[in-house]
Amino acid sequence: MTPRISFTSLVICIVVLAGCSKSKPVTSAPTAGESSNTNTTSTAAADVAEDVLLEPFDPPPLEEIEAAVTWVDQRVVDALELRREAEANDKPLVTLDEALKMRNDSSEANQKILSALGQLPATDAEVNWDATLVRHLNGDAKSMNPLMASSTSEFEVHGLMAFGVFSFDWEMKPLALADVTVSWQTSSDGMYDKVVIRDDLTWSDGKPITAHDVAFSFQTIMNPKVPVPAVRAGTDELRWVAAYGDHTVMYFHKKPSPTNIWNINFPVIPKHVYEESVKEDPTMANSAYHIKLEQQPVCGGPYVITKRTQGQEIVLQRRDDWFKKDGKLVRPLRHFKEIRCRVIEDPNTALLALRAGEIEETTLNPEQWITEQTNNNEFYEKNTKVTGTQWVEFHFTWNCETAYFSDKRVRQAMSYAFDHDEMLDKLFYGLYEPAMGPFHPSAWMAPKAGLKPYKQDLDKAEDLLDQAGWEDSDGDGIRDKVVGGKKINFEFTLLCSTTPNSLKVSELLKQNLDQIGVICNVKPTEFTVMQQLEIEHKFHAAMGGWGTGTDPDSTINIFGTGENRNFGSYSNKEVDDLYVAGRQEFDPVKRAAIYAKIHEIVYEDQVYTWLFWRNSFYGFNKSLRGYKFSPRGPYNYGPGFDALWKAVP
Amino acid sequence: MGQAPRSYAKSLQNTNIHSEPVPFFHSLGAGWRQFMLSYLIRRMFIGLITLFLITFVVYGLVRNMPGTPLTVAAAESDPSKTLSDADLERLNKIYGLDKHWTQAYFIWIGNVAKLDFGRSISRKTPVTKLIRERVAATLILTVTSLILTYMLSIPLGLRATVRSGMVEERSVSTVLYMLYSLPAFVAALFLQIVVAVKLGWLPLMGIVSDDYETMNTFGKAWDICLHAFMPVMCFTYGSLAYYSRFIKSNMEEVIRQDYIRTAKAKGVHPTNIVLHHAFRNTLIPLVTMLGLTLPGLLGGAILLEQIFQWPGMGKLFFEALTGRDYPTIMGLVLMFSLLTLLGQLLADVFYALVDPRVNLS
Repeated sequence: MTPRISFTSLVICIVVLAGCSKSKPVTSAPTAGESSNTNTTSTAAADVAEDVLLEPFDPPPLEEIEAAVTWVDQRVVDALELRREAEANDKPLVTLDEALKMRNDSSEANQKILSALGQLPATDAEVNWDATLVRHLNGDAKSMNPLMASSTSEFEVHGLMAFGVFSFDWEMKPLALADVTVSWQTSSDGMYDKVVIRDDLTWSDGKPITAHDVAFSFQTIMNPKVPVPAVRAGTDELRWVAAYGDHTVMYFHKKPSPTNIWNINFPVIPKHVYEESVKEDPTMANSAYHIKLEQQPVCGGPYVITKRTQGQEIVLQRRDDWFKKDGKLVRPLRHFKEIRCRVIEDPNTALLALRAGEIEETTLNPEQWITEQTNNNEFYEKNTKVTGTQWVEFHFTWNCETAYFSDKRVRQAMSYAFDHDEMLDKLFYGLYEPAMGPFHPSAWMAPKAGLKPYKQDLDKAEDLLDQAGWEDSDGDGIRDKVVGGKKINFEFTLLCSTTPNSLKVSELLKQNLDQIGVICNVKPTEFTVMQQLEIEHKFHAAMGGWGTGTDPDSTINIFGTGENRNFGSYSNKEVDDLYVAGRQEFDPVKRAAIYAKIHEIVYEDQVYTWLFWRNSFYGFNKSLRGYKFSPRGPYNYGPGFDALWKAVP
Repeated sequence: MGQAPRSYAKSLQNTNIHSEPVPFFHSLGAGWRQFMLSYLIRRMFIGLITLFLITFVVYGLVRNMPGTPLTVAAAESDPSKTLSDADLERLNKIYGLDKHWTQAYFIWIGNVAKLDFGRSISRKTPVTKLIRERVAATLILTVTSLILTYMLSIPLGLRATVRSGMVEERSVSTVLYMLYSLPAFVAALFLQIVVAVKLGWLPLMGIVSDDYETMNTFGKAWDICLHAFMPVMCFTYGSLAYYSRFIKSNMEEVIRQDYIRTAKAKGVHPTNIVLHHAFRNTLIPLVTMLGLTLPGLLGGAILLEQIFQWPGMGKLFFEALTGRDYPTIMGLVLMFSLLTLLGQLLADVFYALVDPRVNLS
């Protein structure tokens, strides 16, 4: 056929997508009746202008707070130094040369490669300080304003150029960065956090970074007229943020909680740049001034953006003025002089680019990992590959509001019917470990007594379905039940994404259920359509996955009653109460027990049929060193990306 | 290449009554010009209504697809940074997503009338700027490909007519049909692996090299040519079979006409017969097709642009659709609709100009 995608076919594509909705059209737009209500108010801007996110608050004088509270020191560390100390006694399992020659064909080989190539430089003399790294972004970073970040690509770029006070290590324990912080203290009553930032920090336009920037950023995030897509979550739990002088920031909490630490970790923007402009243009995007800033942002981090070609490339240069004062190094220099972030959406092109040396690191998908394209000489000529456990689990979500899955026994039957071994051994080549609940077994909040993984047991599945009233009453081979006075067959639709792996796993479930008289119609669905149907609970079952947050409390929006990621409408008062308790418990051991209990309950209830933990797969150019995997992959933690380096040629 | 307009199809049927090559232009009288003016006004009026209907229907469809720009943003965000319902409502209001789609459509069309095409929700950039940024890259691909297609398929088609039924013609046709059935994305990956990765002769992807800005004008042009080579090849080869067969089938009809036989009888050289007598008649439908390719020229190609990381219009449309970026989708739909209508109008007018027997009324 002709290679062109015509306008007509694009319109057809729209029509087909629009037809994906099963019942009435699904849209975020209100009905006509509802829209008439919106007409009674004036403009959208006026609507939100009346909206108030922050109650008025008059911060007390610093002396008053100091006199009233006792401070507890918190961690202020150089994350790279922290890792160096933690690995001081780790010796590489093989030499560098051996690691570079190795093929990653077993978990032992993976360990050896990681142990040798993941090493930090022993001395500064080993590092090529003038090196450039070409990094892969699998999607465009659409905004250079850290407040507007929502996608992974944006967080990755902003992590290099934006100013931030807090981070967390590979165990996801919070820390304040020594690069920018003098001290961090929490009041013993848990109501205040006090941070003193360093006095040798500047924005890329030369103006000093001060506590006023932090307080201003909080106010901007909490301005209802500013369309902040993600970073308001958590920040809105704060009572207030105030600057006392140029360097002291005080965070006021509404109530004491162990989760407060995550609320104070928000991006900081320069007050002198945005203070006036945000009043004129609260979208922070529409005015000519803001458009220019999107192209040439004022950066507060170790790198500055020197070139941005939308959809193609973002080039960052190390800021000498950030690291040096009067020609003297005042904080540890980052390892790369230049970082080029190249946007490649297509994973096959990204792999070819890695092989051609046009990018120096990329994620690999399981098919790429297992097949010849990353096992042949051409791949290993310039690159190597490594994998690590990542706390990303996949599952089938059962919609508890439907007649099919409201009964726990039915959900358990689904888990017994599914052939977990076939999925793990044959579909995923033994690359993944089975998932048994929301928390990874190695996590501090996972139940200490190991849970029993589900294994296929069709007899048990059939018994459970019989007990739940799903029997083949008319002998047509399909189980049925009288619901609301009407007999219905057990025939449901399973939504899954269009990726080959999702389809394979979903089809496997369909085959398994066929054997016990349950009809499962697999419906591959465009990602956005699926997401919207799940948000509106308009589905029977769906295959999906969750990455981990930094604190187990973040799963409240998955299993808490009526929460926004609780697509299956699961509701259990005991679970809800445990989440509340988890937010009030400061003792780490007791807190871990609370989340372990939640884990056990939702696993017993089989809110999901948990499937597998998806590993993180990466291809790295052989010139790169220093990578180490955390539960959130090799980058999204401290030091993460900052640990990467290239040796002197 | 789209469906031929009625008048064009009708005239194609009538070509066989020619006894002489059709003159390309003929003198236009004052009455004809007046008629043409009223015809144009009528067509433009109908065009406006069509445009309104197309945009109304497409707006309704995209707004009723499950998912909004905020659904996508929420799905991409950190699990612990999900939007609260109140924030979702705030953003819906700010982006006007809280309004019923019919109400939102009339706001949009009202703004369009004031030449305000809105801003991309995901990219926070004016839609006109987004489109402007992509036009050049798209045209490099499509115009080069179109010129190449015509330059190659015309000689191929003519040669095939002259050599019809011979081994040479059949071999070329077979090869062209094989290329026609080879998906462009397969060819693209194959070319990337062999030409870019293994041989290193051409750049793998993108439109310019890293050191583009340091190059002189010639260097810059050459750099773009090198980057465009593989995408243009993939964009072109599939069309060769279509166009050359189109020329051949038209030519075969023409060379059976009496006036060709007459020319042969008069002893005109076979090359002259093909080029001057026969081909000039087949040129008319071919040239008319140009008008219909107008929207295609800016349409780009989704898959190829994705594979080669070519920053073109197809990629923009695809990203806008998957991201439910309504202002960008509508900006592009409006542009394509306008070009389609304009292309059809041009094709009809042009055909009336070159063939007086076509009755526009």
